[in-house]
Amino acid sequence: MKWSQLGFIGRRVRNSVRELFWTHLLTSVTMALTLFVFGAFMLLQENLEALLKGWGDQLQINAYVGKDLSGADIESLQERIRMYPEVARVRHISQEQAWKDFQAALGAQANVLEGLPRDVLPASFEISLRPNFRDGPLVEALAARLKKERGITSVEYAQDWVDRISLVVLAVQWAKWIFGGALFLTTYFIVNSTVKLAMLARKEEIEIMELVGASRELIEAPFVLEGMIQGTMGGALSVGGLWLVFEIMRNQVPLSLGVFGFTNPLQFLGFQSVALIMAVGCVLGAAGSLFALRRFLRSWQG
Amino acid sequence: MIQLFHVSKVYPPRSKALTDVSLQISPGEFVFLAGPSGAGKTTLLKLLFRQEKPSEGQILINGQDLSRLKGRDVARLRQKMGLVFQEFKLLPGLSALNNVALAAQVVGMRKRESQTKAYQLLRELGLKGKYDAKPLTLSGGEQQRVAIARALINEPFLVLADEPTGNLDDQAASETMGLFLKIRERGTTLIVASHNIDLIKRYGTRIISLRQGCLADDLERVRAEARAP
Repeated sequence: MKWSQLGFIGRRVRNSVRELFWTHLLTSVTMALTLFVFGAFMLLQENLEALLKGWGDQLQINAYVGKDLSGADIESLQERIRMYPEVARVRHISQEQAWKDFQAALGAQANVLEGLPRDVLPASFEISLRPNFRDGPLVEALAARLKKERGITSVEYAQDWVDRISLVVLAVQWAKWIFGGALFLTTYFIVNSTVKLAMLARKEEIEIMELVGASRELIEAPFVLEGMIQGTMGGALSVGGLWLVFEIMRNQVPLSLGVFGFTNPLQFLGFQSVALIMAVGCVLGAAGSLFALRRFLRSWQG
Repeated sequence: MIQLFHVSKVYPPRSKALTDVSLQISPGEFVFLAGPSGAGKTTLLKLLFRQEKPSEGQILINGQDLSRLKGRDVARLRQKMGLVFQEFKLLPGLSALNNVALAAQVVGMRKRESQTKAYQLLRELGLKGKYDAKPLTLSGGEQQRVAIARALINEPFLVLADEPTGNLDDQAASETMGLFLKIRERGTTLIVASHNIDLIKRYGTRIISLRQGCLADDLERVRAEARAP
């Protein structure tokens, strides 16, 4: 294809958009609906991942120590734990400190502790983990090793919740591609049909182009370009729609999620995700147009 | 040089359109393909601009075997040909000027250059003042002249016309034939399919007659044979 033909292609696209504006719009809106569902899954996935990351950052192991340990024993045990490759930080919580922390946590209801001995709570180590060692099996292995340390009576960690949310994220990720895939397939056929309609409307033009010696690429290029524009427009519409729905829901969702420790504000899709939605739309539009056109030309030419 | 060797064309399932046609057309010739409807004239033209492939035999244009051409080569071949049809095949949404310029833009000519060339051609063909007219506002003869201008814009070595006067009155038909004679003066080979006997007798220099898909007569050849001792 020659450079001078780019202008020709551009003019054909412009004329087609003008002449078949409603057909193009219908295709874009159809694609936008599919991409909206796909984008909604992405939004859910991204926010669940953020929640998981937030929990991961907070994830710590509480290792309770026996009352019979001396100060030197505790120091030596703390030093040993600090040397573990998984451990980022170790903080010793004395019985006194545990009492104070518990009191502070209860706030106005702290008077329920009245009458209890101040050494009712055990001393412990708060162990924060390095990011690479926050996966379930690794945490489990570390907990098992800690339990074997002399002086440690029990070990607690909130790994179960992290594992469950990880599973949910994985499910959302799969659902995104499964639902998205089914919807893409549907959209592909809808795009195919609308492109076919556009082609029937321009059958004469295609035939004449062929007769005057237009190459296959020159005939196909405007249709593919139109498909790309429709797809990208569909992507933009879906991102716009998602943003609107997101803004409406943002003020309500955190209240209900706060119960689950969801303290991070909800985030809209990042640049990469928005670009992915647009790119998927663009590719879907181009592929729909190209395959419909090729089938059309084949059936027409015999 | 156009050469056909034992060309047959069968449309599925068993409809014979051409049977064992062999002929040769030299550069610059003005040939009429004559014969009644269904004789195979249009099929022969379609084979020449490679809309169809022969079922048997070989067609060579300037030594190039048309059956072996791939998609891009077919496009290149057509860029060097001019095609004229009975039903004009003009785009109703484009002006006369842009209908003509389209064929040049398709081969890569810039818009302005193609329009200048289209403008000159339309003027030469007597359509001065009709540049911006849409095809449907033009008479049949005028539309056919636009189609001829489009066929000529890429300076083809060969013009194929399928019943170009079929939709025209006598005067427009004569004018169209006059244009074909002018085209011939440029050295362009012309092959015109027609069933109009009067027209053929008046303008034909070589008349290839087809009947039921077979070569029935080749007048030029008959004359040559008659002249032979």
